[in-house]
Amino acid sequence: MAATLTANDDVLRRLLPRLPAGVWSLSGFSVVWFGGIVIPLLAIILVSFFQGRGIRINIDPTFLQYERFFSYGGGDLLARSVRIAATITFIELMIAFPFALWLAKGCKNNMVRLLTFTALTVPFFLSPAARVIVWRSVFGINGVVNQALLGIGAVDEPVTWLIFSEFAVHFGFLGAFFPTMVWPIFLSISLIDNDFLEASNDLGANRFRTLVHVIFPLALPGVVAGIVFTFIPMLGDTVVAQHMGGNNVLMLSAQVQSLIGVSNFLVAAALAAVVLGIMLAFQVLLWAALKPVGGLNEVFANLRR
Amino acid sequence: MANSDVAALRTAGSDGDQILQVEHATHRFGDVVALDDVSITARRGEFLTLLGESGSGKTTLLRIVAGLERPTRIARIAIDGEDVSAIPASRRNCTTVFQHYALFPHMSVGQNVEYGLRVRGIDRDQRRKRAEDALTLVRLLDKYGRRVHQLSGGERQRVALARALITEPAILLLDEPLGALDEKLRVDMQVELLDLHEKLGLTFIYVTHSQEEALTMSDRIILMRRGRIVQEGPPTDLFDRPASRFVADFMGVENLLEGTIESVQNGTASVRIGGHVISGAWSGAGPAEKGAAACVAVRAERVRLAPHGVAIDEPGVNTLPCTSGATIYKGKYLDQTLDTDIGPVKARIWDRGVDVNDLEALWWRESECAITSNENGAGAGSGDDA
Ligand SMILES: Nc1ncnc2c1ncn2[C@@H]1O[C@H](COP(=O)(O)OP(=O)(O)OP(=O)(O)O)[C@@H](O)[C@H]1O
Ligand SMILES: [Mg+2]
Repeated sequence: MAATLTANDDVLRRLLPRLPAGVWSLSGFSVVWFGGIVIPLLAIILVSFFQGRGIRINIDPTFLQYERFFSYGGGDLLARSVRIAATITFIELMIAFPFALWLAKGCKNNMVRLLTFTALTVPFFLSPAARVIVWRSVFGINGVVNQALLGIGAVDEPVTWLIFSEFAVHFGFLGAFFPTMVWPIFLSISLIDNDFLEASNDLGANRFRTLVHVIFPLALPGVVAGIVFTFIPMLGDTVVAQHMGGNNVLMLSAQVQSLIGVSNFLVAAALAAVVLGIMLAFQVLLWAALKPVGGLNEVFANLRR
Repeated sequence: MANSDVAALRTAGSDGDQILQVEHATHRFGDVVALDDVSITARRGEFLTLLGESGSGKTTLLRIVAGLERPTRIARIAIDGEDVSAIPASRRNCTTVFQHYALFPHMSVGQNVEYGLRVRGIDRDQRRKRAEDALTLVRLLDKYGRRVHQLSGGERQRVALARALITEPAILLLDEPLGALDEKLRVDMQVELLDLHEKLGLTFIYVTHSQEEALTMSDRIILMRRGRIVQEGPPTDLFDRPASRFVADFMGVENLLEGTIESVQNGTASVRIGGHVISGAWSGAGPAEKGAAACVAVRAERVRLAPHGVAIDEPGVNTLPCTSGATIYKGKYLDQTLDTDIGPVKARIWDRGVDVNDLEALWWRESECAITSNENGAGAGSGDDA
């Protein structure tokens, strides 16, 4: 992109009105964004209204793919996916916030902090599948947990719901999406000047009130980012559901992938469009939720002070 | 001074009228001794200033009083007679105006001011009323709904004041509250703070590194250096009777002449410097000892000039023959350096009629200079000076 611009600099300059460099980079970015992201998404949505005839594709718009999707239990799939993603996001938030608070303000030992950072990033060196598959040897029929339970005589035969179940899927997600929740919250809490905490304390607030009135509102940008970067990728995740849920816990994106695997592109497109719709709805919901505190802009403005 | 009658009232109070007592506080940050066995007290309603150069431990002491810092060692800390060593900052009857104000950026001016009441569970209407009173006090009532970032530096300062005052603390702690303001605003705010202090009658503990600010505002000054108190007393004490060379220097005395004590009688010391003997009141911390090194501290504005052929017919003066040196123009006056055989001496000349090139001697009254110890370190007995 940049190379093309330089090569045709003279031509471009004659063709286009003179604009400051900032506008150029911005419009360059817009072109890439539009061409690379928006058009493919629009194409998916468009395709989802098509109809297949043998190997040909009929251009008449139709809801057929959506009807097929919902008649084969798509509604359940949808509800389950959103429910699981929302539950995990909520649990992650509940665990990650105190953890991030401790890491940012409570942990005075730099060594402990460094080790924690490492522990949070190291799993990303592994492929997503490898990260998840480890749990099989823990929760599988012959896994560590079952061996232990059998060993102490707590059960007579292996517990089966530990793997290929919703429990297992929850567990898989919990580990995989912990860092995405912790990082943004940790960063935004780190940015809170200790003066504010001390001022709150000095003015008579105990720890809890300081948390509610000062830390949480100022950490809100991180919380918002954490929720977005946890919930949305989780909906798009194909690995966890497949490896931890097997055929018992089907989820949207894994389903899209398996449909593509059997060349059922049209239903896959409809499904992908549904996922997109949910993500959009989620953004709207978030925006509405932030309305009472002044909206997204105001929340992020506090970072600047 | 505007608050002298108030000060007089206070001195009439008994010794038991101490709002703050800090006894033997020591604080270390790792190897750094930020506070070294410091004891202070404050009387009810006093304007007490902690003065000292950067890193002298003023903020640390203030934070210990506020409860924001737990001292490494302390014998006793009491606010209003009650021992507060185990009481957290949130329940101590004092509030702080932070150096950078620390106004909550996500709250409006009104919400900031109300914060102390909100966390005490006071209902909205009463909160609002009291916040408006506090804002009226600092002349910012019309800014109730503003966001903090829409305020000027001086306005932020006043919001921070209103926020700290709203809970009606026994002691207000101010950590260089005017440090971030420009010169003109600073002078205005000084007056405003003094007014407020007089009106409210509560105890102010004020941190600054400006001797000028300390002199104009305080009932009493505690001068600190390297975590220790080097001198404390009313402004006139520090100004006119410095306990050491360091204090004299810090308080802006231009001429510090070094010599040896030759004789002492009735609180007056005579110091030999080169071929001259200079006398003045002894103001050092300990007793003056014959033969010890001493320092004559005399302010430039006290140094007078004697033109050729004009006799100095006053008793009790110190005289040095001199010739003229460099002149620095300062607008209202001239800073004139005069060369004597014991080194240069600075004089401040207000009278433009004086011909500085036709001088015989300079002189000052014995009562207008102080003789003090030549100590430049952190208080008596400490020899750790580099
Ligand atoms: N959190 C800290 N960690 C380590 N050392 C500290 C800390 N706070 C202060 N110190 C050190 O303690 C000493 C006293 O600091 P303090 O902040 O009390 O000085 P101050 O008189 O308020 O100075 P200033 O006028 O610059 O604000 C300094 O040497 C400083 O470096
Ligand atoms: Mg300080």
